[in-house]
Amino acid sequence: MHLLKKEMQISKMKINFTNEQHAFRDEVRTWLASNVPQRPLLSLDTNEGFEQHREWERTLNKGNWSMVTWPKEYGGRGLDLIQWLIFEEEYYRAEAPTRVNQNGVFLLGPTLMEFGTHEQKSKFLNAMATGDHIWAQGWSEPGAGSDMAAIRTTAVLEGDHYKINGQKTWSSRASYADWTFGLFRTDLNSERHRGLSFILVPLNLPGITVRPIPQLDGEPGFAEIYFDDVEVPIENLLGGDGEGWKIAMATAGFERGLMLRSPARFQQTAAKLLKLYLAKQDQCSPMIQAKVVEAWAQSESYALSIYHTASKMLAGGSIGSESSLGKIFWSELDHMMHQTALKILGASAELSQESRDDAAKWIKGFMFSYAGPIYAGTNEIQKNIIAERLLGLPR
Amino acid sequence: MNFIFTEDQIQFKDAIKSFLTDECTPKSIREGWEAKQSFNSDRWQSLLELGVLNSNLPEDKGGLGMDQVTLALMVEEMGYAGLPEPVAEQTFLINDLMPLLPSSISQAIEENYDAGAKYISIAHPLAPNPLFINNSVGLILFDSSECKFIAKDDMDFEIISSNDPSREIFKINSMKSTISSPENFEELNSAVSARGALMTAALLIGLAQKMLDLSSVYVGDRTQFGKPIGSFQAVKHMLADVSVRIEFAKPAVYRAAYSLSENNPKSALHCAHAKFMCAQAAELACKNSLQAHGAMGYTWEMDLHIYMRKAWSMMACWGNEDKQQDIIFKTLTSSSEELGVLYTF
Repeated sequence: MHLLKKEMQISKMKINFTNEQHAFRDEVRTWLASNVPQRPLLSLDTNEGFEQHREWERTLNKGNWSMVTWPKEYGGRGLDLIQWLIFEEEYYRAEAPTRVNQNGVFLLGPTLMEFGTHEQKSKFLNAMATGDHIWAQGWSEPGAGSDMAAIRTTAVLEGDHYKINGQKTWSSRASYADWTFGLFRTDLNSERHRGLSFILVPLNLPGITVRPIPQLDGEPGFAEIYFDDVEVPIENLLGGDGEGWKIAMATAGFERGLMLRSPARFQQTAAKLLKLYLAKQDQCSPMIQAKVVEAWAQSESYALSIYHTASKMLAGGSIGSESSLGKIFWSELDHMMHQTALKILGASAELSQESRDDAAKWIKGFMFSYAGPIYAGTNEIQKNIIAERLLGLPR
Repeated sequence: MNFIFTEDQIQFKDAIKSFLTDECTPKSIREGWEAKQSFNSDRWQSLLELGVLNSNLPEDKGGLGMDQVTLALMVEEMGYAGLPEPVAEQTFLINDLMPLLPSSISQAIEENYDAGAKYISIAHPLAPNPLFINNSVGLILFDSSECKFIAKDDMDFEIISSNDPSREIFKINSMKSTISSPENFEELNSAVSARGALMTAALLIGLAQKMLDLSSVYVGDRTQFGKPIGSFQAVKHMLADVSVRIEFAKPAVYRAAYSLSENNPKSALHCAHAKFMCAQAAELACKNSLQAHGAMGYTWEMDLHIYMRKAWSMMACWGNEDKQQDIIFKTLTSSSEELGVLYTF
């Protein structure tokens, strides 16, 4: 008796691009070639650089390239995940500017589409796409970091508005952004993840004080936001009063789902690392070569895994706790690659990111690679998620 | 782009898994160790009758003409079960090599081979100690310049001891008569090296998964300080790290297999990449699994080492991590293509 059926079909797995996908890549490449600024923009965490990046968002939007994965009804291109990955590959290859409105495009946008009212969608989505509203995240508080359910900033409903009091911190992009979204305690008697609501707040309201926090590189990539009797209209509540946790979890999923934008970034870095090594090979030991190969191998694996996941999602699958695996993998890889680069650079590794040396980019990336294991849920929290939800270990 | 398995592929994987769950238990493996007879002829016969052994032979040679991805999925399960018979790293390799072998050798083999029914072992500089010669009808031997076939009766051999008692490995002392040919050697040698890397990579990923699963169960049961030790973050994080490594090694195996099936010019690189990633994953799986088991992990009694020992062997054979690193480096630095995002597919 044959366990294995004789009438086996030839594999329908296909790990390469279709003609349509190649044509799409060419279209992206052509547009980027004639639109990506010739000179790199100033850092987006400076006043002038922020406005340059806002202008880039406008340029992208004019070409209809700003919200490519959004459905057409919301002004996007409705790209599938594979096209999106191709878009990102060309984007990183062209060294196009960092997206200053990532919080809006990738986090709040999809959340609004799922939970927003018709009015909210028409008010916010287009302004996000054009770069008129740049969004900051407002999750963490001084006493609520990894333990986000410990949020204490209150929003008390008074007639047609919420009155907000408290403090948010580590709010990415808040130094220069126009709006913030986050969780606020609307039920003062509630505890933990109950009684929280998801509210959208313009940062120019009376009673709001934004205090930029210089990061490791000296630039204010995040800020504290103080709320002192800030009145926000009730229309700015996203979803139901008290449903904030559920909505925030969906948003956090989108953030980890951002892994789907990342492979190109790491593949390009690995390729540059190899180039850097080959230029300085005579000054390095063979140990460095092994790390350079590891960087290539891991970034290659990361890309393969993302295409595998994207294919499964296109076939109707979903990702849940698995995205925690990706977050750990890419953040450790990113750090390893930059650490290796600094070793290759020898004594130049002590230069600052402002120096005119070729080393500067690596040093900037090196500093930023320390943020990866922390933001979007620390790697320790991700490991708890993996152990409890994927491996079934006890809480 | 559709990096996804077909239902057929999943069915083959499930079918072999269910067979091995019943027929290749830790108990049966230990019985083989004790009897110094790890090659279980009954299980071999069942694998033959089920069509597994010649699944990657062409249909006109009595096989299923199975593609490499399905094969890799099945091999992963053989790793998971710790299967002692060298189906993946000897039989499947030879099946794939058959069309490439010089005609003098392939004739000699076919006379002895009986459409996969007879076991032939293989030795190569990357895996120099052939397995289970006493169960074989002969040996395919690669040296640095040619490929040979030696019938069992024409050589003098002795068993040498492997750190994995499931692997009865041999040393060839002398050969009386051989059929040898330098014909097609380069192609043959690179084909066997790439396939050897892929087969051991697929075994390693299954072995790593098995060690992780054993550890997850163990730390959920074992209590200290009044709680299961799996509730402590130090233990959780150790196993989560293994899980991450396995997750990102697997697609490298499937892609390498796909590249072989498609005759992709980069298939040797892709196989080296797969082995590199799987060796790293398995190495961490060994270390963290043993640590999670505490002193029990350091005993002969606990089943963990059945899989750990095989993983150590599979890491070493057919090119270890360092060897693959070298292949990858040479390939990348001699490529005229742009590296980065465009180089992957």
